[in-house]
Amino acid sequence: MDEAPPAVAAAAARGAEDLVAPLYVAWQITNECNLACLHCIEESGPGKAFPDELSPREFRAVLDQMLEHEVPYLSFSGGEPMVHPHFFEMAEHFCAGNGNLKVETNGHYLTPANCERLQRLGVKAVQVSIDGASSKTFNRMRVLGRFDAALDGTRNLRAAGVPIEINFSPTHFNVHEIGAAVDLAYELGAYSFYSGRTMYTGNAVKTWRKIVPSEEQYAEFFATLRAKADQYRGRMRVYFHEMGLLEELRYRLVHPAALVIVLPNGLVKLINALPFVCGDLRRQSLTDIWANFQRAWRDPRVATFVDELATDPRKTAGLHEWIHV
Amino acid sequence: MRLAKYVRFREEKFGGVLFETRSEKVFTLNATGAAVVREIAAGAAEGEIAGRLRARYDDPRGVIDNEVAQLLADLRARGLVEDAPRG
Repeated sequence: MDEAPPAVAAAAARGAEDLVAPLYVAWQITNECNLACLHCIEESGPGKAFPDELSPREFRAVLDQMLEHEVPYLSFSGGEPMVHPHFFEMAEHFCAGNGNLKVETNGHYLTPANCERLQRLGVKAVQVSIDGASSKTFNRMRVLGRFDAALDGTRNLRAAGVPIEINFSPTHFNVHEIGAAVDLAYELGAYSFYSGRTMYTGNAVKTWRKIVPSEEQYAEFFATLRAKADQYRGRMRVYFHEMGLLEELRYRLVHPAALVIVLPNGLVKLINALPFVCGDLRRQSLTDIWANFQRAWRDPRVATFVDELATDPRKTAGLHEWIHV
Repeated sequence: MRLAKYVRFREEKFGGVLFETRSEKVFTLNATGAAVVREIAAGAAEGEIAGRLRARYDDPRGVIDNEVAQLLADLRARGLVEDAPRG
């Protein structure tokens, strides 16, 4: 039995091309969000839903394909997935088919009733974004957001018995709180804590100078995370990716993850940070898209784009200027 | 014995994959490994698995018992299987 690196890295010791379907589908079910975060990689916010997001009939058809192909892991994100008017209908449809669902949320809709409903559905985990250990930093970063609301929502998850993950995005004004944020995640009952470098894409393109941490700050940030990983070993997993975007993309060119990104309108991307689209779930089957995913990673335009990022990191700025490959 | 709560199994041309969704780790299985996990997923008791495979496959070298025992120990050590509740 061979073990692959974490996070579905390289589709195990075999290539992704050996698999019958993706192992992980990350589905941004809507681009609408109640918050307008400074660093949001999706350019989400109030009134930012795509005009052509999938209809209930279409999303049920997509979910059925995922169940049929035994995709072992599906996440709903956004935008804020819980503002989608059919969020629970989608979650119920997938979980009723014995699917393994994770929800990535800002935590503002995690009422006791909603948490109990998620628990009854048997969702695998709910990941809450808590980018700070104080309302001062959290509220500055998550415009329209409230630190206390995210904490209350996470506590409601714990009370309902839903497994909790916490995500933290670093900026120059919250990195000093990383140690306290990891401690807070543990106190809230999280079993995993995730972080990595903030990406230059989405809303971050406009706010970059206000948010980007310095390399000195990143060095201290990752040193603290290493220490916290040791401190909480066996009690809470502390995951973080020190790799920069360019390094990661170069790795992915050789080792594509068994992961596809589904946009709210059914388009399928190779990876969040790149503009390349390899399929459309409105018009193509998951099988066809998965086959094209393998070819698309070998498309010379993808490698050229990544090469050019080395000299022009601003190329990731055009998030929704899709290139079909 | 059963697959652990957060573990998913999928058959593949080369055998199968086990996906542990809490740690997001993927484990690949060859054809023998996949056959063992298929039995676990079907509810076979630990002591029955080797016998079931012997009934289905030729075993001229007499290695099935040993391979099954090793794989089950490996699965258990990695937390991919757990004991089913009694009763």
